[in-house]
Amino acid sequence: MLDLRSLAVGYRNTRGTVLSGIDLAAAPGDFICILGRNGSGKSTLMRTIAGLQTSLDGVVLLDGEGVASMRPATRARRIAVVLTERQFNPGLRVEDVIALARQPFTSWRGGLTDDDRAAIADAVAATGVEPFLRRFFTDVSDGERQRVMIARAVAQTPRLLVLDEITAFLDLPSRMEIMALLRSQAKQKRQVVLLSSHDLDLSLQLADSVWLLDGAGGFSVGTPEALSESGSIGRAFDTEAIRFSPSQGRFEITTSVP
Amino acid sequence: MAARVSTSGAALLASLGALSLLTLTYGQIALPLADTVGALTGTQSSDLARQIVLEIRLPRVAAAIVAGAALGMAGVLMQALFRNPVADAWSLGLLAGGQLGVALTVTAAAFAGPAAVSFLTFFEGPSITLAAATGVAIAALAMLALGRRVGAITLLVIGLMLGFTSQGLTSVLLHFAARAGGRVYGGWRDASFAGVAPSALAWLSLPILIGACVAVATAKPLSSLLLGETYARSLGVKVTSLRYAVLAATVLLVAPVVAFCGPVSFVGLIAPHFARALAGTARILPLLPLAALGGALLALAGDAIVHAPWEQHFLHLNAILAIVGAPVVILILIFSPAVRQWR
Repeated sequence: MLDLRSLAVGYRNTRGTVLSGIDLAAAPGDFICILGRNGSGKSTLMRTIAGLQTSLDGVVLLDGEGVASMRPATRARRIAVVLTERQFNPGLRVEDVIALARQPFTSWRGGLTDDDRAAIADAVAATGVEPFLRRFFTDVSDGERQRVMIARAVAQTPRLLVLDEITAFLDLPSRMEIMALLRSQAKQKRQVVLLSSHDLDLSLQLADSVWLLDGAGGFSVGTPEALSESGSIGRAFDTEAIRFSPSQGRFEITTSVP
Repeated sequence: MAARVSTSGAALLASLGALSLLTLTYGQIALPLADTVGALTGTQSSDLARQIVLEIRLPRVAAAIVAGAALGMAGVLMQALFRNPVADAWSLGLLAGGQLGVALTVTAAAFAGPAAVSFLTFFEGPSITLAAATGVAIAALAMLALGRRVGAITLLVIGLMLGFTSQGLTSVLLHFAARAGGRVYGGWRDASFAGVAPSALAWLSLPILIGACVAVATAKPLSSLLLGETYARSLGVKVTSLRYAVLAATVLLVAPVVAFCGPVSFVGLIAPHFARALAGTARILPLLPLAALGGALLALAGDAIVHAPWEQHFLHLNAILAIVGAPVVILILIFSPAVRQWR
């Protein structure tokens, strides 16, 4: 469903090409985690896949159609994004934020039909944001805010859901809940869910497939088990102080800590 | 929510109607309500009453309503576009920019000679509006470029300072224009609705009407922009063209007000906050009519106080608006969570 064909991502300035020669595919229902250290190109790759940034070379195809050449309105019906960037929203209530997800589907006035309301109710129920629907978006906590933005993305009923480091501000139980929620979304709605994360443990437990960026322009793809056994994860993340242990599925401190 | 919007809209409309009628009855000469209504409907026989109501008071009341509505809608657009709760045409220097545009045009005509002055006087409506529009547009583009680099409060301060600069320059220019024999827009440096001639009402209203249509057309994508540029793009909004459309609507709404009524302060800043409080939402489409009605009511109330039967005619519109408006802005600066994030 999602195909990346000889894709090169990056910037047409001094930062230049970040990743190139990417040929990957994802099928409906895939829950994919993109892992890599800071600066390895996760966000650039995700923004390009979501059509928010043009590719330097190659194409991103969603259901056989080029994401870059889609009409913005069409793309908005098929791809939803959640980002870490925080914006201030004067006077927006949580319910307004979620309802904005339906804009690609509404008439010029933006009025909601029964279908739109059903999609919103569905997303609200799935993400558990019901208790703070009437509160101002600026007044909810970091964790709640991320939940709201996920509810908004779910309400957009996309084919592809792109989420960039959304769990960064959350505590461990919330992170687990949200990852599990996104995985079940992928399975139930037959969507492709693409999530970048620093959360190695959880990603390796829940992902169907991991796209691993090594930070030097290279990447490897496979199931979590295959990647940890082949040592790819170790190569991407190991430093002098820590080492990934394939047998344990987690990092170990190599030097003795006083 | 829809019910809330229509109820508040109806209440505002009723208040506006009542206040208009009240404003038409009083002034230097008090007229009984029956005479006023008679003059309006054409059933009144007294020529004096008709002259006072239709030729003196009605144009002023109509100008206050139209200009107030325009400023209210422009405030909604600008607060959403700049994502800044204290943005409006006055606070970000657009009105002063428009004044400067008019002053430059008048001065240029004065120095070009009597032919240019009489041309300008003959085509007063369109030419003054066009001159104001140029100034407003330049100020708006400058603030938009700045708005992406600085925080909300910094932008406000810069807007006010640029406004003072433009007003200073306007003063100087008009002085030279007067010496060169051009028409001096005396009293125009202070805002007033009284100077709008009946014939000028069309020139005031037409661009505002077009601007209101553009504003309504941009309302839906502008609502998405409240989430920030990237999210708006992910919702299918073409952000750059939206910015220009909103800017065009703002210029169309604001320029005629500057040209005919001067720099009316605070109305555009406060009306959107009233509208949001009444509507219980920040979505743009329901806010536009409420902010228009609220702005009209505020402008007319200010005008009603100025033209109340005082012993001496001593009050300026902007003085009244500042007494009401400035404390509201201070409250917004202290309590708005949106502002707190930017401090």
